[in-house]
Amino acid sequence: MQISSKEIYSIIGLSSLVFLIAPIFVILYVLSYNKKKRKNEKEKLLMRQTFENEILHTRIEVQEQTLKTVSYDLHDNIGQFLSLIPLTISSIDQSKVGAYAEKINTIDDIARRAINEIKLLARLLHGEDLLEKGLVPAIEAELAWLNRAAKYEVSFENESYGAKEPDLARDTFLFRSFQEGINNIIQHAKATRIEIELRQEDAKMTLMISDNGIGFPVAETSAKRSGMGIGNILRRAKMIDGQATISSAPGTGTQIKITIPK
Amino acid sequence: MNAYLTINTVPELACLLLAVVFLGRDKDPFWRMLILYLFLTCMVELAGIYIHKVLQRSNMPLYTVFVLFECFAVSSFFFALLRPYGLKRRWLAAWLAVFILTYFAELLAGHFHHFVSVTTSLMSVAFVLAALCYYYLLLNADKFERLTLHAAFWWTNGSFIFYFGGTVCNLFFDILIAHPASVYTHSIRYIIFGVSDVILYTCWSLSFLCRYLQRRSTPSSA
Repeated sequence: MQISSKEIYSIIGLSSLVFLIAPIFVILYVLSYNKKKRKNEKEKLLMRQTFENEILHTRIEVQEQTLKTVSYDLHDNIGQFLSLIPLTISSIDQSKVGAYAEKINTIDDIARRAINEIKLLARLLHGEDLLEKGLVPAIEAELAWLNRAAKYEVSFENESYGAKEPDLARDTFLFRSFQEGINNIIQHAKATRIEIELRQEDAKMTLMISDNGIGFPVAETSAKRSGMGIGNILRRAKMIDGQATISSAPGTGTQIKITIPK
Repeated sequence: MNAYLTINTVPELACLLLAVVFLGRDKDPFWRMLILYLFLTCMVELAGIYIHKVLQRSNMPLYTVFVLFECFAVSSFFFALLRPYGLKRRWLAAWLAVFILTYFAELLAGHFHHFVSVTTSLMSVAFVLAALCYYYLLLNADKFERLTLHAAFWWTNGSFIFYFGGTVCNLFFDILIAHPASVYTHSIRYIIFGVSDVILYTCWSLSFLCRYLQRRSTPSSA
């Protein structure tokens, strides 16, 4: 059978057309697979973030529960034991103590002061209880505790904060972050002045904690295990869709700024 | 002048112009090599038209020699693309050795009178495999790439379509030469390679643009 030139051209033309179109489908498949790959990567990232948030959430809950237990133990257990001291002292017949009267009075005074200290500490540890009156009184209570050491010149600016509807979860996050910041200053900063500012703007509230201490390299410390306090502040803020920025360098003091949505 | 502006030369010249603009300051020698390769391609194409139309002689020897440069340039570029995925230099050397052997064996067999169509087919198959290999490695890599703006991906797409699409023409080269264009205005080879050329140089131009944008966004990497 003789094949004409026209038929040869048609066969070759059609085959070539198929050979030209086939790669386009291969390329489309590569693009679609790559799109799925990106989607998978995004999902993996989201899952990892959710997992990390869950872990942090659990850790915070456990921490909060532990603090609450310690607070109850201090108040109900040790506090009760201590309150037995003034009670026992009051049962002593003053006419028989003679020369020891003054010392007994001193013991009584120390015991009462210890009871007050324990009660105050128990209240500070029990976040929910402390935050019942709001974030500002809670911060003031913590600062009053800090001022007892008379080591720091402390200022607390909250005029622009105004009255806010209480949100216990958000206030607890903010208050614990504040405590974390203050703990860092006490443990590492060697500061003499601490400035705290609580500000309320249109759609967000900001807490700033500044000190004039020795400062530290932020990036290096955040990467190290020793920077857990810093990491906690950053993660806590992220958990409630907020943002925490830490500005510091050796010798320049430290400024922690936590911004969260209202 | 119009004789020199064909469906092959216009996309080639446009692509060369874009290559000069977008790749002129590229730090990667493999990308810069493409400017030279495109320049050579344009020169060969224009010379081919001159020999065929003005001198009325066969331009086959010119294209036979050009295949050598084409294979070297495209193979080197595929090597540059696959090298980050672990391709060794000896694989490139081995492939070029096989190519040269086939090329000269075919030339000798045809007494230097015929176009090296078998070698060209072999080269096309090798480039198609290299492109498929690149896709596979790209999709298997841990790092995600945004392919719509990925210069190497578009370069590979152009090459893949061109060499895969031209396979039929290369395989039936002898038949096409034996049956001159008596039915259509242009030979079927001319039409197919014309379409392939437009796709190839469009993809390559896009690739050069992506490379330029990549260089602008991360100056140290490109």
